[in-house]
Amino acid sequence: MLEIRNLTAAYAAIPAIRDISLTVPEGGIVSIIGANGAGKSTLLKAISGLIQKKSGSIRFAGQDIICERANRIVARGISHVAEGRQIFAHMKVEDNIHLGAYLYHRRRHRQELQEHIRQVYEMFPVLGRRSRQIAGTLSGGEQQMLAIARALMARPKLLLLDEPSMGLAPLVVHDIFAIIQRLNQMGTTILLVEQNARAALRIAAYAYVLETGQMVLEGPAATLLTDSRVKAAYLGG
Amino acid sequence: MNMASLAGQLLQYIVTGVTIGSIYAMVAIGFNIIYNVTEIINLAQGEFVMLGGLVMVSLHMLWKLPLIAAFPVTVVIVTGIGLLMNYAAIRPIRRPTVLTLIIATIAASMIIKGAAMLIWGTDSFDLTAFSGRTPILIAGAAIQPQYFWVIGFLVVIVAGLTFFFDKTIIGKAMSACSENAAAAQLVGIDVRWMVLLSFALSAAIGAIAGITMTPIALMDYDRGAMLAIKGFGAAVLGGLGSFPGAIVGGLMMGLIESLGAGFLWSGYKDAYALAALLIVLFIRPSGIMGNRDVIRFKRF
Ligand SMILES: Nc1ncnc2c1ncn2[C@@H]1O[C@H](COP(=O)(O)OP(=O)(O)OP(=O)(O)O)[C@@H](O)[C@H]1O
Ligand SMILES: [Mg+2]
Repeated sequence: MLEIRNLTAAYAAIPAIRDISLTVPEGGIVSIIGANGAGKSTLLKAISGLIQKKSGSIRFAGQDIICERANRIVARGISHVAEGRQIFAHMKVEDNIHLGAYLYHRRRHRQELQEHIRQVYEMFPVLGRRSRQIAGTLSGGEQQMLAIARALMARPKLLLLDEPSMGLAPLVVHDIFAIIQRLNQMGTTILLVEQNARAALRIAAYAYVLETGQMVLEGPAATLLTDSRVKAAYLGG
Repeated sequence: MNMASLAGQLLQYIVTGVTIGSIYAMVAIGFNIIYNVTEIINLAQGEFVMLGGLVMVSLHMLWKLPLIAAFPVTVVIVTGIGLLMNYAAIRPIRRPTVLTLIIATIAASMIIKGAAMLIWGTDSFDLTAFSGRTPILIAGAAIQPQYFWVIGFLVVIVAGLTFFFDKTIIGKAMSACSENAAAAQLVGIDVRWMVLLSFALSAAIGAIAGITMTPIALMDYDRGAMLAIKGFGAAVLGGLGSFPGAIVGGLMMGLIESLGAGFLWSGYKDAYALAALLIVLFIRPSGIMGNRDVIRFKRF
């Protein structure tokens, strides 16, 4: 579904990721692990179009999207839940949800939209209860759920998740991972970036290890879980 | 001077101040719309007002279009110029920073002003007042009917924008861009289109300000800069980016100017409001309604 070949992307002059190749099969969960500053977020931003300076190829559903702008890429079916819960903090929860479906806001879609909002609230009941609260006043876990819910409103085929567990209590992390698995079972393909390597490797089928901008290791997640280098560097020995 | 006539005079100055202030508020709202989406201070905002007045004068006085037709046509023309400015001066900049973009708006304002001088010359033009010029006498004050038109249009603009930003998805998308441009793109909002829309809205509001003020204050090619300064002052006074702030700031600037000119020396009328602005900024740098977290001069 997503095929990346020799992708290099830069912020200023210096590339933050170099010569990355990666494949995400339709219906799968793929994880990327790596230390701080390895370039994980940069890779996701390059895929979703937030970074323009890049070379190589990014093929999604058979088409090269490397030159497309972020808003067009969303329309193609890739939603990116960016690092640090980039919600619209000064707006109400329901406004965030509505904006998630920005591309579907035409009159003839009204009914469908309402139905979709209902489904998302069903998946995240806490958001339904707090739909009129200002998003910035939600708890950290609720904000992360809102960020995911908003991304789902665009009906992605591929969901890019950047550290969904960051700063959350273990119980909440458990909830979030359960939701990710449920989304996957419902047919959404997932590319997951995580600091929490153990959890990320448990739910993924395949995984990549990123170090200082380059892919250094890849393999079935179960194999990486027992790999001595991965154990030493990312799983705490 | 007896009490009655003093009260009448006070009322006169207050109504005049609110009217001038409404114009400043419209200019300030124009500043805020573009600022919120792009962080640019569009220093050509005053030229939109000038163009609104002069285009209207040409359409109505020269080409004899009735007011009710000339009004929307003027707004459309000035909006077009706002869009053109976005395409010609803002988009082509290859490495946009807030500072280069602001300089581009200064260049645009000079070009617009120069073109206006070529077209209309250096004369001041008058425009027919919408409901005549017979003053309405209220409690010893003689009030021009046009004043009510100006204040009324401010109310209409504010109501329209409130509806737009609170109730429509495009309006919310525009607020989303101002809050977090990256996140806005990630839900599929075309930020470039929103920037374009912000220029269109600001130009349209500027045009309305120009059209409604011309019957009171005349209009010439050289008025843009002072209007921009006062409007910018109003926006900063109220808190840059805040719409309620723009209204409060605009009305305060207008009232201070009018009362200062009326009761003190009229020669310093431009100084009073700007002095008040400085004082407020010393006490409260974020402006009256500004949110300290939201002042975002971060990229300077
Ligand atoms: N906006 C930016 N401008 C310039 N350099 C940046 C920018 N964002 C990130 N970088 C640099 O790019 C490199 C990769 O950063 P990135 O955010 O992709 O790391 P990461 O793997 O996501 O790290 P973390 O786990 O801490 O989130 C870092 O060296 C970082 O300093
Ligand atoms: Mg990161």
